[in-house]
Amino acid sequence: MTSPKKILETATSQKRTVLSEYESKLILSAYQIPVTREFLVNTESELFRATNEIGYPLVLKGCSEDIFHKTEQNLVRVDIRNDDEAGIAFKDIMAVLNRGFSAVLVQELVKGQRELVMGMTRDRQFGASVMFGLGGIFTEILEDVAFRLAPLDKRDALEMMEEIRGRRILENIRGLGAADLDQLGEILIQVGRIGIEHDIIKEIDINPVIISEGKGIAADALIVLEPSPIES
Amino acid sequence: MKKFFYPSSIAVFGVADSPGNLARNIVSNCREMGFKGEIFPVGRSHGSVAGRKIITDTDALPAGIELAVILVPAAYVAETLDICGRKGISHAIISTAGFREYSGKENRFEKDVLAAVKHHGIRLIGPNCIGVICTNSGLCTPFNPLRPKRFKKGRISLVTQSGGLTVQAAHLYSEEHVGFSKVISIGNKLDLNEIDYLKYLMDDEDTEQIHLHLESIEDGRKLIDLARKTEKPIVFFKSNVSDTSAKIAKSHTAALLNDDRIVTGAFRQAGIIRVRSIHEMTVCAKALQLPPLSGDRLAVISLSGGFSVILGDACDEYGFECPSLPRELLDKIESFRRGGVIRMSNPMDFGDVHSIEGLAFAVEHCLKLDHIDGMVLALFYDPGIAKLLGQGSDNTQQLLDFLDRTMNACNKPIALSFLSERQYIEAYKKISPFPVFNDPVESVQGLRTNRNYWKAR
Repeated sequence: MTSPKKILETATSQKRTVLSEYESKLILSAYQIPVTREFLVNTESELFRATNEIGYPLVLKGCSEDIFHKTEQNLVRVDIRNDDEAGIAFKDIMAVLNRGFSAVLVQELVKGQRELVMGMTRDRQFGASVMFGLGGIFTEILEDVAFRLAPLDKRDALEMMEEIRGRRILENIRGLGAADLDQLGEILIQVGRIGIEHDIIKEIDINPVIISEGKGIAADALIVLEPSPIES
Repeated sequence: MKKFFYPSSIAVFGVADSPGNLARNIVSNCREMGFKGEIFPVGRSHGSVAGRKIITDTDALPAGIELAVILVPAAYVAETLDICGRKGISHAIISTAGFREYSGKENRFEKDVLAAVKHHGIRLIGPNCIGVICTNSGLCTPFNPLRPKRFKKGRISLVTQSGGLTVQAAHLYSEEHVGFSKVISIGNKLDLNEIDYLKYLMDDEDTEQIHLHLESIEDGRKLIDLARKTEKPIVFFKSNVSDTSAKIAKSHTAALLNDDRIVTGAFRQAGIIRVRSIHEMTVCAKALQLPPLSGDRLAVISLSGGFSVILGDACDEYGFECPSLPRELLDKIESFRRGGVIRMSNPMDFGDVHSIEGLAFAVEHCLKLDHIDGMVLALFYDPGIAKLLGQGSDNTQQLLDFLDRTMNACNKPIALSFLSERQYIEAYKKISPFPVFNDPVESVQGLRTNRNYWKAR
């Protein structure tokens, strides 16, 4: 597996300030943060090898370091149920992408009705700070989030989950079962660790973190890097 | 640092014997507040202020002066610091404005000041500030005419970036009878900043609570690390927190970060109590002077049915519960009733008990209960009622002393407020040996602060 250091070095050598979803999740995985099972494919044969490996239903996403808001650019196909649908989705996405580093990400469809957001950013005064809140479209609509300074301890992580107005989303509501607060807290702690250990990382967005059978799993991720110093 | 607050003698620069001169007020304020050290007014023209001759030849200043307070035009501040340096004065408060807050960070006057300070090894408060009010030493350097005799000595110290807030806080802390040890107006923070003041106050014997009001934080990390180390409560009024999130942020996380959110999170991590007004600072000051509240269970006694209900709502809102009280105890309390028309419960409507013995009995026995962590007491009270309760004599002082003793014996807080005319509330605040809140709901907010503070330790 490619180490976070290696991924970051490659990106900076290419003068990029954004990691692709795939690269971002490799870094999360290196910190034991659960992510969706996924493969990056360039050709149809790779595509079907991946669909076979993961099994339907699936999500196909255009994957490139210069795409932020994939949904808005019509680069996401969810709930792909068979080879036909997969083939069509692949062609559609490739037609839009058509760029140098681009490829299609074939991803397991994680089932879960509850979406959270977790992230890291650097404050001018306080340094690396970790965020927790309601995910998906509610992140922007409700702005129901809490911050703590990294590094986080267990108590910080639990307190920030308790702090949001929508905290009941983590409880056993509508028979969904209570979320595993320890596991979610561990992800927050690890997000903070990434921020502490890699100064080059400016921002991390994991949105959504889907609660599936009580556990959080990163379904989408974005890592933004500091611009490299201007060469003299 | 100590010389900024307890100097043996001071020199005030910029004094003139004319009614419009501002620096002369520094001399008279110190005099009136009872500053014991020598004060040397320094100015350009002969004359005298507050019974002291203005020194026009700085060579005539004696050696051994510990603090300079400087209120001369910005262009002459560096020159004045040179005089201080030559005279061995190593601490200076620069009240003068007209530096970076007026002409930006790149300005000649500031450069000259920094050069002089560096050359002579002088430490600075300011510029653009009103310096220090210290009730322990009587030092009172604001240049507006004050009535410092009214300032109440206490064990709270406030660091603030605003001169206006300095004076207002000094008044408010005094009027609310929480008192203060030091109020420090820190101005532009050209030399010393909040980290230095915080460090000093953490070790200062006269300071029990540290209050801060800042518009900008120089080093958030350092501040949080320090705050985590102190045993003293820190109450923080961070102003200037409107949305500053970087518009260029690429992620949701960065776009959602603003001063307000990060301050909330960081302060909670460090156990800092956050407030949003000076008034709230006084409420916290009172709350933290009470014994620690170690749980959520309150006994609520009010001499009004309506306020019992209001207090029940407030308890619910701030996460408190009012557990039911033992029947035997309620029976005993009910035996003090006059008309026998109100049932006792928790919250307790005491409107039917017209005896000070009954009140004392209820307070003591409710507070002693194992399943009660603290008490809210809202007394419908004035001199007339006092006489009614005391069978003709006003026993208010004895009642307050009894409450104080009971509270300390149980080591559980009583949050006291009076439902009365303002003049009587003020009078009771003055004679009470422990804090009196301004109204019943505020007293519950105070208990919330107290509980949350101790819970976070």
